[in-house]
Amino acid sequence: MSLEDLATTLSTTPLAILLTDSTWLFGVIEAVHVMGLTLVLGSIALVDLHLLGLVERGRDTTALIRRLLPLTWTGFAVAAITGTTLVFANPQGYFTNFFFRGKLLLLVLAGLNVVVFHRFVQPRAGRLGHRVSGGISLALWLTIVSFGRWIGFTI
Amino acid sequence: MIALHDFAVWLAHSPLNAAVTGHSWLVPEIQVVHIVAIAAVVVSAALINLRALGVIETDRPQRVVVRAWLPVILGALVVLALTGVLLIASEPGRALFRTVFWVKLGLIVAATAVTAAHGFGAPRSRLVPCLLAIASALLWMGVIFAGRWIAYADGWPGAFS
Repeated sequence: MSLEDLATTLSTTPLAILLTDSTWLFGVIEAVHVMGLTLVLGSIALVDLHLLGLVERGRDTTALIRRLLPLTWTGFAVAAITGTTLVFANPQGYFTNFFFRGKLLLLVLAGLNVVVFHRFVQPRAGRLGHRVSGGISLALWLTIVSFGRWIGFTI
Repeated sequence: MIALHDFAVWLAHSPLNAAVTGHSWLVPEIQVVHIVAIAAVVVSAALINLRALGVIETDRPQRVVVRAWLPVILGALVVLALTGVLLIASEPGRALFRTVFWVKLGLIVAATAVTAAHGFGAPRSRLVPCLLAIASALLWMGVIFAGRWIAYADGWPGAFS
């Protein structure tokens, strides 16, 4: 099944019809998407800025991450579910959109950055490693938000 | 209403309008800065409210948590106001003439006041901080909702466009 077939299949689902028929449903889901993504962005940026040595100095990194992780995951779950739902409104449009594709790729890279951080950087507890991980994460997430905003202008 | 209309007309012909509409990438990137500042408010309010509910940061007194994060909210609100003004300047006929925009401004005042109220005194009951936390969370969610709804709401009849 090609991406094109998948898009066609998705666009005939009851959810897709519900979204395209309603004048307000897309906007409501979009608003909830913003709530989820700001929770993800805010909590991750806080950890990144801490890794860069800019905020919450002198506090334990592991404890900070453990404290914020439930917030990040809650926000991510909300953003992922609402984001996936929004795709149903125009599957062909999103699948062929440069910024949508780029955003998904950047999300994968952000996930890889987390894996690398936990596996290799955190156990060594080196200052430089922390700073590089934090900087990469911050740059990726700012680009993800930017790409997300650009989808709305190009679709 | 007439004053608001005149203001919008003036803004539409101001150098500020020309500056922000001069490059097609500028408005989306101003929106990105706006969203980043919203994220700062959301995470700060979440930390204050979850401390009030006794979920996180329980090793620190509530007033310490409020003192650490309330300034972040206030600083982010300054960034939001500045980027908000630029976004209005880019399209003066949009937000100013939609009820939901003014509702949003009211909600921001209420949400900030309720969140800041966590810092006043040490309440004897556990109920007050919990109610403040729930009210704060709902108000900030209302702000985000109203903000997103500016794009969907109808303008006032006969308003500037």
